[in-house]
Amino acid sequence: MLEIRNLSAGFGKVDVLRGIEFHVEAGELIALLGPNGAGKSTLMKSIIGVGIHHRQGEIMLDGENIIAASSHDIIGRGLAIVPEGRMILAPMTVEDNLRLGATRLNRSQGHSLAEMFEYVFDLFPRLHERSDQIAGTLSGGEQQMLAIGRALMSAPRILLLDEPFLGLAPIVVQEILDALTMLKEAGLTQVLVEQKLDIALALASRAYVLIKGEVALMDTVKSLAARKDLDNLYFALASVRETEEIS
Amino acid sequence: MEDFLELMVSVCEAGSIYGLVALAYQIVLRPTGIINFAAGEWAAIGAFAAVSFITWWKLPLIIGLPMCILAVGLVGWLTEVIAVQPLLKRDAPELSPVLSLLGMLIIYRETVSSVYGVDNLFVPMPFGFGRVELGSIAGTSQSFFIIITVVFSFTLVWLFFERTMWGKAFQAVAINRVAAALLGINLRLVTAMSFAIGGAVAGLAGVLLAPITSVHFLMGLPLAVKGFTALVIGGVGRVEGALLGGLLLAFVEKVTIRYAPIPSGLALGAPFLLLILFLLLRPSGLLRARGEQ
Ligand SMILES: Nc1ncnc2c1ncn2[C@@H]1O[C@H](COP(=O)(O)OP(=O)(O)OP(=O)(O)O)[C@@H](O)[C@H]1O
Ligand SMILES: [Mg+2]
Repeated sequence: MLEIRNLSAGFGKVDVLRGIEFHVEAGELIALLGPNGAGKSTLMKSIIGVGIHHRQGEIMLDGENIIAASSHDIIGRGLAIVPEGRMILAPMTVEDNLRLGATRLNRSQGHSLAEMFEYVFDLFPRLHERSDQIAGTLSGGEQQMLAIGRALMSAPRILLLDEPFLGLAPIVVQEILDALTMLKEAGLTQVLVEQKLDIALALASRAYVLIKGEVALMDTVKSLAARKDLDNLYFALASVRETEEIS
Repeated sequence: MEDFLELMVSVCEAGSIYGLVALAYQIVLRPTGIINFAAGEWAAIGAFAAVSFITWWKLPLIIGLPMCILAVGLVGWLTEVIAVQPLLKRDAPELSPVLSLLGMLIIYRETVSSVYGVDNLFVPMPFGFGRVELGSIAGTSQSFFIIITVVFSFTLVWLFFERTMWGKAFQAVAINRVAAALLGINLRLVTAMSFAIGGAVAGLAGVLLAPITSVHFLMGLPLAVKGFTALVIGGVGRVEGALLGGLLLAFVEKVTIRYAPIPSGLALGAPFLLLILFLLLRPSGLLRARGEQ
């Protein structure tokens, strides 16, 4: 469904990502793992086409290369992102945030705004209760629900989530885990960026591990979980790369 | 007392015009962060459009006015295409569009002077020279026409920002450009639209002003300065701030000219004093934005 071939991307003249190969099939939930600064968020931004200075390679969506397309076009084709740091529009109400999430809602495919509101409010009833509240006054967990709900308002076929569990209390983490599981069972394709392995392993079927801007490992979650060096996987992968570079 | 009330009518009249120009600045500034000093020139172009459509072609106001607004809206849109879009595409430094717009200001002024000449031109009063009296408040028909039209326009613009999806999208871009882009809002389209709407609003100011002044190729710059001052006074974050700023500026200006025991040349400096005071003491203006950058 989404396939990335030999992607390099970065800021200024520096490449943060090099030779990325990555693919997601319809209905899959993929985890994208890696330590701080590995380039996970950069990869998300490259796919959407916002906030990146240069990109090279191929990003194929349903067999069409979208690397030169504009972000509003890419989102219109069925991608949506829950960005790092949530990026809710703090001075606006919850309802206005959600409404703006539907900017690129494809009405010709039979989706209506009312139907999308119902869908999101079913998933996160707390947003319904607080629909008139100013988004900036929501709790951290509620803001994250809003960020996810807002992305869903465009009825995406692929949802990108950049560390949606960061800084949340265990109860809220569970609530959001449940929501993502429901979406997965409903057949929504998802790419989940995470640092913590346990969360990723609980949700995903396959995982990519990004180290220093390159894909260091791609494996099924089953065989990942069976690895002996799982507790310090990033460290192990990083040192393997270094010895490779030296030899 | 009557003298003071009549002065207030002329304060409202001038304040409405300044407010419109301030609004033109604001509509461009909020989503793009660009201070567009060519706004005064847009107003001047509106006045010259009125010379063409109303004085020369003798179109009735009901057709001529929308045509002028449309024409300057088009000029605003062209301004964006020529002077702003190429810079944004190349990730030019933030200040560069402000400079290229200053360049456009000169291009517009020179174009106008070569098309219309350098002599004063006139636009007839659409409602004649009659006076209107509402109890003890009296003024020319044009004064009341200006005030009513401006209140109506501000209401329309306010409704656009607060009640329509398009307006919300503008606000979203003003709050956080990246977040707006991630929602699929077309930043380039919003930028172009803001210049077109800003142009239309400034153009309206010019058309309304034309019958009560002489239309001249140098009329843009003073309007740019007054509009900017009104913007600073009223604050950039809210539509109603622009009108409030315009009215306060006109009040200070008219009252010093009428009552202060100083030469009228010096009284012209009063608005600048106000500008400096606001920049020093309350740079956010009278009405604060709700969380915009
Ligand atoms: N706007 C930018 N300009 C320049 N360099 C950037 C920019 N954004 C990110 N980088 C650099 O790119 C590299 C990868 O950053 P990125 O945010 O993609 O990492 P990440 O894997 O998402 O990390 P984290 O888990 O901490 O969010 C880092 O070295 C970072 O300094
Ligand atoms: Mg990140």
